[in-house]
Amino acid sequence: MRRGISALRWLVLLVAVVALNAPVIVTLVTSFKSDAEIAANPSLVIEAPTVSNYVRIFAMSDRFDILHFLTNSVVEAALGTVLAIALALPAAYGMIRFRVGLAWLFPPVVNLRAIPLIIFAIPIYLMYQAAGLLDTRFGLALILCLVNLPLVLVLLVNAVRDVPIELDEAARIDGAGPWTILLRVVLPLVRPMIASSTVLAFIYAWNEFLFGLMLTTRDAVPVTVGASFFFSASGGGVQWGVAAAVMMLSTLPPLLLGLFAYRHIGRSMTAGAIKG
Amino acid sequence: MARRKPAAAPTRLGGRRDGWLMIAPLTALLVVMLAVPLAVDLVYAVSRVTFETLRAPSVIGFGNFAVVLRDGQFWGAMLFSLRFAVLVTAAELLLALTLAIFLAPLLASIPWLMAPLLLPMMVAPALVGLMYRLVLHEFVGAVPYYFVLLTGDSPSFLGPDTAFWTLVTIETLQWTPFALLILYTAYQSIPTDVREAASLDGTGPLQMLRYVELPLMRPTILAVGFIRFIDSFRVFDNVYTLTGAGAGGDTTTISIYIYEAFFRRDDIGVAVAASMILLAIAFAMLTVVLRWSERRA
Repeated sequence: MRRGISALRWLVLLVAVVALNAPVIVTLVTSFKSDAEIAANPSLVIEAPTVSNYVRIFAMSDRFDILHFLTNSVVEAALGTVLAIALALPAAYGMIRFRVGLAWLFPPVVNLRAIPLIIFAIPIYLMYQAAGLLDTRFGLALILCLVNLPLVLVLLVNAVRDVPIELDEAARIDGAGPWTILLRVVLPLVRPMIASSTVLAFIYAWNEFLFGLMLTTRDAVPVTVGASFFFSASGGGVQWGVAAAVMMLSTLPPLLLGLFAYRHIGRSMTAGAIKG
Repeated sequence: MARRKPAAAPTRLGGRRDGWLMIAPLTALLVVMLAVPLAVDLVYAVSRVTFETLRAPSVIGFGNFAVVLRDGQFWGAMLFSLRFAVLVTAAELLLALTLAIFLAPLLASIPWLMAPLLLPMMVAPALVGLMYRLVLHEFVGAVPYYFVLLTGDSPSFLGPDTAFWTLVTIETLQWTPFALLILYTAYQSIPTDVREAASLDGTGPLQMLRYVELPLMRPTILAVGFIRFIDSFRVFDNVYTLTGAGAGGDTTTISIYIYEAFFRRDDIGVAVAASMILLAIAFAMLTVVLRWSERRA
């Protein structure tokens, strides 16, 4: 009886993992099949594995430059993440230690999580057009920073609050100013939370699509949007093998990050959802 | 969500000016990127404005709202998003709660088993939408292939009658992990002595679930439900990349309606007015939830 239930648990887990990850599993399998095999055999078994699809992506860089899209995504997601943390950390410290803005700035930022950002999209598009920020990496990075601010701010405010104020006071007696205390005393102590929020913010930024679609056209296109270009560029006759390889390359960075840092991600997601 | 202000430590460090300097950069960014756009939204929503008259909109009152409210497509999109969000939220909560409780012993003894369950959340929803074009393709897709193998026939997953249910299913499959993670954490954090006290009183496993565990998890269930409802109500990415505005059936969500009004029809007034209606809805839901959680606290 006991053993029966335990076996059933493993079975349910296995079914859940396969069902939830089905799109990635199917895409991964397809990316290692030849065109002929894809047409003849849609099953999950690969008869003659090949890496030719991945080779072909890089051979077509004149029409579809995946390295360009991947570079854009790396730069934009990294910049958006760093910006969010650079703005949120001093703000969190100012809010907790100097009690500035805790009442009027913290709640709106955190509740931004519940407001669909598309409502700001049209004026932002028009502002970007006027400021020359359309289709620039910096322009998109600013939006990615905005997308991540609610979560990052909640996590950092919680982390700063947990730092004993006695440490600040000791440093102050030694003659340190507030900015020195922030950088030398508080920053090292909240580093674990910064690491967790960096991972999660980078993944969210990498996966953003709507603003990438609206605000970029060529130079700054991130890979989520670039991958969809691949489909529209090939019209009716999509080369499914190459398409699958494109999707795998586009999704691999956040997927690997998530796999290795799942514990950090779990912790910060839970904190963000419950403590927020 | 956020209502509880973090308790501030007594401030003995002096210098409120330094505090202001520390929140200034964040505040400045928010003013430029959110407050200014919101102001522009509010003006454009009551103006006649085209790409030629962006700097000189002429105020016309609530005409744009009248156009939106008379537009059948707008109501279609509203209804689509509402049905979508209700079904997705209910399905995710049910599935996640079942998995969290049933798999709890397994996940507690081997924690890394959580990793493959969380993976779907790491994939961009836009890419998930693209992947399902392959997965559900009638000639090369694995799902239709196995359907034919097992039942001799396969439904067309993106046809007019089925596209809605396909989208509900793929959204549920991608975000059940989020609910699962949070609900499992809440389930694990129920103190052991609560369970022990209940079982000393002779409470069976089902009664334990019904009268002890679920009531303790109720605030978390509602919080997760709210987050997922809001997020699925404004869904854009996976719907846009899988079916566009409507391959086969009409799959225009409210976000896609706003996007199309602006980028395809150059109808700034309509797009902005619809945005403001969406903002009002989000704001109303947020207020209700904050009131409710304040009353509980």
